[in-house]
Amino acid sequence: MQGQIEEASYDVLVIGGGIAGGEAALNLANNGFKVLIIEKDLSIGGKMILLSKVFPTLDCSACITTPKVSEISRHPAITIFTGSEVQKIIKKDYNSFEVEVLKNPRYVIEEECTGCQLCEQACPVIVKDEYQFNLVGRKAAFIPFTIASPKVAAIDIENCTLCGACEKACPPKCIDFTQEKEEYRIKIKSIIIATGFKLFDPLMMPRYGFGLYKNIITSMQMERQLAPTRPFNTILRPGDGKVPCKVAYVLCTGSRDATIGNPICSQICCMYSIKQAQLLMGALPMADVTIYYLNIRSFGKGFEEFYEQAKGMGVNFVKGKIGKISELENGNLMLRYEDINENKVKEAEHDIVVLSVGVIANQDTAALFPDEQLKLDSFNFINQPDPLATPARTSIDGVFVAGTASGPMDIPDSILSAGSASSEAMSYLIQKK
Amino acid sequence: MEVEKGKTFKYLREKREVSQEAKDNLKRFNQIKKTILDLLKESDLTIEQLTQKLNMPKNEVVFYLMSLVKFGYVQTGAIDEMDEYFSYKLKK
Ligand SMILES: Cc1cc2nc3c(=O)[nH]c(=O)nc-3n(C[C@H](O)[C@H](O)[C@H](O)COP(=O)(O)OP(=O)(O)OC[C@H]3O[C@@H](n4cnc5c(N)ncnc54)[C@H](O)[C@@H]3O)c2cc1C
Ligand code: SF4
Ligand code: SF4
Repeated sequence: MQGQIEEASYDVLVIGGGIAGGEAALNLANNGFKVLIIEKDLSIGGKMILLSKVFPTLDCSACITTPKVSEISRHPAITIFTGSEVQKIIKKDYNSFEVEVLKNPRYVIEEECTGCQLCEQACPVIVKDEYQFNLVGRKAAFIPFTIASPKVAAIDIENCTLCGACEKACPPKCIDFTQEKEEYRIKIKSIIIATGFKLFDPLMMPRYGFGLYKNIITSMQMERQLAPTRPFNTILRPGDGKVPCKVAYVLCTGSRDATIGNPICSQICCMYSIKQAQLLMGALPMADVTIYYLNIRSFGKGFEEFYEQAKGMGVNFVKGKIGKISELENGNLMLRYEDINENKVKEAEHDIVVLSVGVIANQDTAALFPDEQLKLDSFNFINQPDPLATPARTSIDGVFVAGTASGPMDIPDSILSAGSASSEAMSYLIQKK
Repeated sequence: MEVEKGKTFKYLREKREVSQEAKDNLKRFNQIKKTILDLLKESDLTIEQLTQKLNMPKNEVVFYLMSLVKFGYVQTGAIDEMDEYFSYKLKK
């Protein structure tokens, strides 16, 4: 840790640089407020920047996200700390907070890195690539992904062998192993929490066999396989590299299930699965796609038509509750399910199973306020005391919430929620002047 | 202490021990990479054929082979008659 603590001040702190945090920051900055975004990952963009296309329009996600994140990054009123964490937030007086921030070393001088990837080529180490959800490897010197913002290399120090190859290969000599953690103490007038959601971990449902059977993947892994910057040259089973022909989706994995502690609907899984099914039928024209569902929740604008479109393309919808998944000798998977319409237990064989994992609350921020109580709702999302009148307000005066930090929602709703968080923060700042 | 730009890894090497896990991971990858590349020098191979020769779980072969594709050592070849499995070859 470097000895000195840097001091700074901003109007608004946005915690989390996903689509909700980014949108809220832009709105505030465009209205003349000075914003600091603290993002714990190496890039802003959240989950959206890693998606293939978006429902129900099937627009390319990267094509929407890239200009947005570049606008956020280049905005003169927005400062972004990536690889950073808020450690503590103290309410000082009626209109200010003191925030302690820890910036982890990237071991690369951000301003000097050109993103040429020569360090990546030179690095001999391969570890699982978390941005491809472990389907393929990455180097210990790496650019997180092609459209990362900032597009700057980082060193994974836990896996680095300190061989020096990256440093020798780097033309501007911007790799810097002398970097240390940096501490900041920042004065802030208002805060927006936009820390998003976590994906349900299907290891919590051993009867589905995720982890054990290698041809069972999560929807996020399929999302990557369908993205332009995908891990493989085409869609493959990670268990043996076969091009799958019979694909199954298991909806509500980790949602609407009190036995695993998450009784609520994740609101996005039906629609992203229907989207992926349509994209799969485009990528693999011979594929059979079956979606096992409890109820299809197609409540948004254009969603019912999108569902009908999938049926029209030949996606098979089975109202069925999966009991158990087992593996056959050839790596195929046998799904044992209750056919709800026929009230019968049936079995079906598939090449690959995609678990449509649900949205789980990210509780990172609850403990950041030692002197105040940031209330959570009964599902551990940030509580909105008055969701009808002031949907972004939280239990702490001056602290607002945007996007999926307050509950499951899709991208358009996250952007709407960011709009209300930024306007509520603005009126708060104007009132407290 | 003044550290020479471009050689800062030496500075950290004195301050921090590289974990045994990181060393073992590199050693293992180098061995697997060499074996896969040597095997592909002889002929194009499918994942099934590589698995038999490498004596490794198939999913690990997929992981390492696809990483070698990603980093430009290997390229995808033809697909079999059933349109199920690709063969892989060295990138020239
Ligand atoms: C498989 C899949 C497919 C989807 N497809 C679609 C689709 O087609 N259309 C659609 O509308 N929606 C889709 N969604 C939903 C969409 O991803 C979310 O609506 C959207 O990402 C929510 O944005 P957010 O900013 O609220 O959260 P996130 O995207 O989760 O972003 C949160 C950000 O906060 C950061 N963060 C978290 N904790 C901290 C912390 N403690 N400190 C600092 N930073 C932190 C994270 O690193 C991240 O950058 C899909 C979701 C999944 C899982
Ligand atoms: S010093 Fe570390 S990051 Fe750089 S090339 Fe060597 S192993 Fe890779
Ligand atoms: S750290 Fe150096 S070699 Fe790596 S991407 Fe940046 S400029 Fe290129």
